[in-house]
Amino acid sequence: MQSQAVVTAPPGSPISTDVVIETRNLSKIYRDFWGRQKVRALKALDLEVRRGEIFGLLGPNGSGKTTTIKLLLGLLFPTSGQALVFGKDASEVTKNERIGYLPEETYLYRFLNAEETLDFYGRLFNMPAATRRQRAARLIDDVGLGWAKRRQLKEYSKGMARRIGLAQALINDPELIVLDEPTTGLDPIGCREMKDLILNLRAQGKTVLMCSHLLADVQDVCDRIAILHQGDLKELGRVDSLLKVRGETAIRASGLSEAAQQEIRDVIARHQGQLLSMDNPTTTLEELFLTIVRDSEARPGRRSASLNDGRS
Amino acid sequence: MDIEKQLPPFEEWLFGTEAGELGALWAWLLGGCALLVAGMVASWVFGTFMHGPGKAGDKIFRVLTGTVVDLLHTSPRRVFALARLAVKESIRKQAIVGLAVFVVVLLRLAWFVDPGRSDPARVYLDELLWWTSLLVLALSLLLSAISLPADIQNKTIFTIVTKPVRSSEIVLGRILGFIVTGTFLLAAMGLMSLWFVNRMLDHTHDLSVAAAKEGEDELVRGGAGFTQMARGHMHEVDLDEEGNGLTKKAQSHVHRVTAVKRGDERVTYEVGPPEGEWVARVPIYGKLSFRDRGGQPTDVGINVGNEWMYRSYIDGGTKAAAIWTFSDFRREDFPDGKLILELNIRVFRTYKGKIDRGIAGRMRLVNPKDPAVYHDLPIFFAKEYTLDRHEIPLEFDHEGNKLDLFRDLAPDGELNIELSCLENAQYFGMARPDMYFLKREGLPWVNYAKGHFSIWLRMVLVTTFGVMFSTFLSGPVAALANLATLIGGFFVEMMMRLGTGEEIGGGAIESFIRMVQHDPMQSKLDSTIATNVGLFLDKVTGGIFIVVSRLLPDFEALGTSHYVRDGYDIPANLLAIHVVMVLGFVLPVVLIACVFFKVREVAK
Repeated sequence: MQSQAVVTAPPGSPISTDVVIETRNLSKIYRDFWGRQKVRALKALDLEVRRGEIFGLLGPNGSGKTTTIKLLLGLLFPTSGQALVFGKDASEVTKNERIGYLPEETYLYRFLNAEETLDFYGRLFNMPAATRRQRAARLIDDVGLGWAKRRQLKEYSKGMARRIGLAQALINDPELIVLDEPTTGLDPIGCREMKDLILNLRAQGKTVLMCSHLLADVQDVCDRIAILHQGDLKELGRVDSLLKVRGETAIRASGLSEAAQQEIRDVIARHQGQLLSMDNPTTTLEELFLTIVRDSEARPGRRSASLNDGRS
Repeated sequence: MDIEKQLPPFEEWLFGTEAGELGALWAWLLGGCALLVAGMVASWVFGTFMHGPGKAGDKIFRVLTGTVVDLLHTSPRRVFALARLAVKESIRKQAIVGLAVFVVVLLRLAWFVDPGRSDPARVYLDELLWWTSLLVLALSLLLSAISLPADIQNKTIFTIVTKPVRSSEIVLGRILGFIVTGTFLLAAMGLMSLWFVNRMLDHTHDLSVAAAKEGEDELVRGGAGFTQMARGHMHEVDLDEEGNGLTKKAQSHVHRVTAVKRGDERVTYEVGPPEGEWVARVPIYGKLSFRDRGGQPTDVGINVGNEWMYRSYIDGGTKAAAIWTFSDFRREDFPDGKLILELNIRVFRTYKGKIDRGIAGRMRLVNPKDPAVYHDLPIFFAKEYTLDRHEIPLEFDHEGNKLDLFRDLAPDGELNIELSCLENAQYFGMARPDMYFLKREGLPWVNYAKGHFSIWLRMVLVTTFGVMFSTFLSGPVAALANLATLIGGFFVEMMMRLGTGEEIGGGAIESFIRMVQHDPMQSKLDSTIATNVGLFLDKVTGGIFIVVSRLLPDFEALGTSHYVRDGYDIPANLLAIHVVMVLGFVLPVVLIACVFFKVREVAK
């Protein structure tokens, strides 16, 4: 996940009407050995994911996110309803030729090294040897594991395993990438690189379906989200639209004097508005961390400029 | 060598006989169809409970058509990729440890088996084939049964089934991978044991001029005309005037002795490597019939009290005879002009007689079309558990005429050999394979490789069943199911006998009743309520045994190590039957595995 040209679609940009994923009344009930109902994991889910968008499935643990993904990938069979991917039933194997999947944990063969891993998964896509070699080399380079490509995966750290997991998901240059908790196990830099990569994939015209319970991650990258709770779809829509707080107005400006700020307060009061806060904005912890790391890399041995500003 | 079942010609076995006996192919097709229908009905009944009749039928149809589509679209590249993975996984799981255990077996044989035994080749071959079979089957059983469940448990299977990989490819890839691993282990064990047997059997003896030619008492063991002791035995020598010849047989082998004259006119002897110790005889068998003591033809001889009815006996000093009829007996089958007849009959004495001499017998070569044309071979003396070897002359005198064996005694390729016992109140016992002409002697190492091929066939079956069980059971349970299949497969015949009521002493409950009541095995049980209930339950379990024995592969029948051990060439016909038998199981088991894997959810 080294430097990639990130092209971010402008907020509110139109999304294709071409449907890549569709679920109709999709339900899943987990049963015990005797066929008795244990858990109703998903209840009549109706969902559409369109080509070229980043779609986020959001919800607390046990809300049905991973179940939805497993149903879409054919790892589970629906109790009722239908899951369609590229217009084909989710149990249809041929759809997988256009899909890349990064599972929640890195479920790879630990006795293989990075090259062998990508070569193996490339073979599963019936790729010719030259294509496999070329694509594996590029992906290993892209995820920054060139230095460890001959090491067995059992020697990899969690972050490294996550990176090679991502590489295997992209080995077939998929049109649809399904990411289950993509930032799990990654350090903040890795998280940012992963998010950049996801945005980059969208810029290449690919569709991304991700599920996460890390709201910041979803907010940063997703065009649309669905919020699940206890198997029910609670909310569905564009992130920017869902996050918009109706009835409040935010103003950000720089270089205002105290007098000017007072004038703004007066204007608000004159128009019967209620000033909720007027303060210096704060950055996110992620932004702060990344700034510090970048600063440290640029000027090794020095205390960070941001800390010298008196923020410590 | 005892062969209880006569080996039919391959075509006859596969397609049936003109007499209307059903061939294996038709039986397999009928059984397969019955199994398919039974499976569909059971699935539909189960599915009806779960989803209703219509949906159940729809699901069955989808699964069947989906499996067929999977099989038709199976990609060799993906199968090989998965097979490679399975091989790497096997290596990671230390399958190679099997070789280390085998080395320990070799060391045990080298250190603890007395090389001075009467037939060391037999002991080495028997043990090595047994251990090879055990280790290869055990490893295949475990590897094949635990691999897929481990992948499902570790969820590594998620990254496979989310690729365009079909259930058939996953099943075939596993099977192929574990077969490759097993083949490698088997080949390594085979080569190691071949080297071991050759090294252990190879020996020679020292022979001095004085001992061999002049009979002076100079050798270590003192006996004039004996070689020196080596590997726990020595040979008597019988040389021609040139000083060449063969030693007498000891430990089932002889040595060729060659005289070498040196410059000072002294003669030394070179004793060659052992011959005939490890052989692969290719026999030509005949059909066996009998004449009773009154001289009348009969199908079987008399029973001297053995429970095992394999051999029939003829009584000595009467007109009773055993008659072997050799068909298609042609001169071309014996290109070197030597006709060797081997005889391995049993002797049953009703009085001791001269115990070290054997019982006198006679063999008569008879033209079956004209019994007046015959030739008596010299009287021989038969001993228990001894293989007699007779060289049959191709020409001989008969009432002043010169007879040619093939022209006059077997003009249509048919020859009778009548064997009779010449001593009153003594008996000869025989079965069909106890007399045969030696067509040729095959290469022992080729026969050894054939023996390993039989182990390989068993390994293929175990692997296929293991992978099949692993598609729907957890690892340990799949391994146990595979083990049960293997053990059950060794008792298929017994299960069939129990099912058909042919087993002496009856089924489990009847045997128990007999034990408790101290009833002999062949007597009829008293009719009581308890006994009748017991017999009824035995009948029910017997029915289950019949079904189970039809579903299990006959692992016992696939064994050929006794051929190698006893020095007989494994017939190509037998191997062809075994290959088809194994295929007959592998194909449906693979199909079942594909269906089971297709209908299961790999995630939880």
